Amino acid sequence: MGIHNLAKLIADFAPSAMKEQEMKSYFGRKIAIDASMCIYQFLIAVRSDGAQLANEDGEVTSHLVGLFYRTIRMVDNGIKPAGTKLWVQGVIPKIFHITFLQIRVRRKPPDLNWRIVKRKERRQEAEKELEKAKEAGDTENVQKFERRLVRATPQHNEDCKKLLKLMGIPYVEAPGEAEAQCVALVNGDKVYGVGTEDMDALTFGTKVMLRHLTASEAKKLPVQEYSFNKVLEGLNLSHEEVCRNPLRVQSNMLDFIDLCILMGCDYCGTIRGIGPKRAIELIQKYKNIEAVLENIDQKKYPPPEGWLFKQARELFKHPDVTPAEDIELKWTDPDEEGVVDFMCKRFGFNEERIRNGCQKLKKGRKGSTQGRLDSFFTVVANKSSNKRKAEEMNGKKSKKAKGSFKKRK
Amino acid sequence: MFEAKLQQGGLLKKILESVKDLVVDGLWDCDGAAITLQGMDSSHVALVEMLLRAEAFEHYRCDRNVTLGMNHNHLSKILKCANNDDIVILKAADQNPDSCSLILESKNGEKTSDFVVSLVRIDTDQLGIPETEYSAHVKMSSGEFQRICRDLSQFGDAVQITCSKQDVKFSSSGETGKANITLTHSATVDKEEESVTVDLKEPVDLTFALRFLNLFTKATPISDTVTLSLSQEAPLVVEYKIGDSGHIRYFLAPKIQEDEENE
Repeated sequence: MGIHNLAKLIADFAPSAMKEQEMKSYFGRKIAIDASMCIYQFLIAVRSDGAQLANEDGEVTSHLVGLFYRTIRMVDNGIKPAGTKLWVQGVIPKIFHITFLQIRVRRKPPDLNWRIVKRKERRQEAEKELEKAKEAGDTENVQKFERRLVRATPQHNEDCKKLLKLMGIPYVEAPGEAEAQCVALVNGDKVYGVGTEDMDALTFGTKVMLRHLTASEAKKLPVQEYSFNKVLEGLNLSHEEVCRNPLRVQSNMLDFIDLCILMGCDYCGTIRGIGPKRAIELIQKYKNIEAVLENIDQKKYPPPEGWLFKQARELFKHPDVTPAEDIELKWTDPDEEGVVDFMCKRFGFNEERIRNGCQKLKKGRKGSTQGRLDSFFTVVANKSSNKRKAEEMNGKKSKKAKGSFKKRK
Repeated sequence: MFEAKLQQGGLLKKILESVKDLVVDGLWDCDGAAITLQGMDSSHVALVEMLLRAEAFEHYRCDRNVTLGMNHNHLSKILKCANNDDIVILKAADQNPDSCSLILESKNGEKTSDFVVSLVRIDTDQLGIPETEYSAHVKMSSGEFQRICRDLSQFGDAVQITCSKQDVKFSSSGETGKANITLTHSATVDKEEESVTVDLKEPVDLTFALRFLNLFTKATPISDTVTLSLSQEAPLVVEYKIGDSGHIRYFLAPKIQEDEENE
């Protein structure tokens, strides 16, 4: 999923675009999260003895367990004693405002579902393998291929929506790609960033993208924050004012989209033999795919037959989203009885644990929020220490940033 | 060439102690008139601003402005080797230095130690702090302030500061109970450093995280008195003067009472 090798490319060419931050520094921020991806992950990962968790009637509950606890962990982050001294002292209450974005249907143009076709092929393969493994009685392989066949059904989505609603967490239903919808929210200043693992979000032009947000606590990884402007700067693609709104894309953005398509996206194939490094070189030189195609030796690097890069570009440029202005995000108090009713009566969860969770949610909402200095003072300059050569090139005129780069008088 | 000689090495030690827990990597801006440092904690809730004018130094020379990216933990290791009355000399090259040297000289001149500290690459946002008219200024003994913050953190993780005509009240509450400490304006006391002055234009009532205030009070050894400046809906300023030749100022964003229903 996502853009092939984009993270690595950014690490190589635009290291300053990625900042590692601790999870706690995001308190009070509103983050949009693609729920469709989460649901899928939970269905795969939350298991016991290799089988999905289910209630007495055999209804799968893995997705609900995952969603419930992950949400609480985020809302509650900070109250949970995580071992370090800092936490125990009763830290700043961290209120994560989380928006889950629900994707209803992946309505992609039928001929653009390149990756989906591939996926279908793989599913069929997995099904066959599963049969084989079952016959052979190979449990390990049975589990492996069962996981590959996991699919989030509309019923799962409905369950999750209901749960989020009861928990008082807003969600948005995306008409198309959930990623694109998240990005629309970021760029419409409704939320601070997108929390995703999927680098697609950058191609859609999100100002801020957070990686490892959901995994960071368990694995003790710092959250990676990508800044779109700095990515463009680092890749040498930004020459004009950077677009804020993915619906009004500007030329430098197109370069970036074309780069992502060349590197391999979800929607169409790539040219064989052109990897990330070649891709960036070509785009820097020729600006767009059309020009690249004209200039490369098509015999050596044959583009895929009937290559749909134009349609893919169109999809990144004008994704099917609900405009941010039409969306209102509202956090409400969790409906404890409702959650208990839903989770315990229907799905057979332990009532005590669910009630505990609800308490945490309520605690997260109560009381005051720590303000942030950046909401009082404005950033006047981005300053770096001397050990940076890039700084010398872009002679910032800002008073603060002059540092030692001033010419000797 | 940048060179600064500080007679009282202890001062630099104290300064470092008071910033290093808040800001790990800091940009030390040196120009012809002063050394300044501005840094924020990682969650962007608190900011420290330090100014040390050239007068503070016995000898100060800065031919070209330099910005030194210091890792405060590294620097603090070096300064741990210094006695309070050691002379400290800071040196750095003009042209994009990648290290900075520190020389410590004992008072009697018998012992000299020199260190080189590698500079680090730092990329931070600098905040512009507007000149603000504050509604209330409270000047008090720095030790007293430290005590109050420490005492109150036993009760809760936040302190509510209310200023009214002649007094200032610090209160905190938690599961174990409630605590209130009230200081009354007492300008008549003989010793200036023990007096409390409340200069009020408008009453204020604000809440702050004690965790940060406890970090700020690490600067207590720098000055006998501390000044708190408050305004409704604005960050708190906690200022410690470094003699006549500089200051350390801390800014802390208040806690905001949120009423989600009305949002």
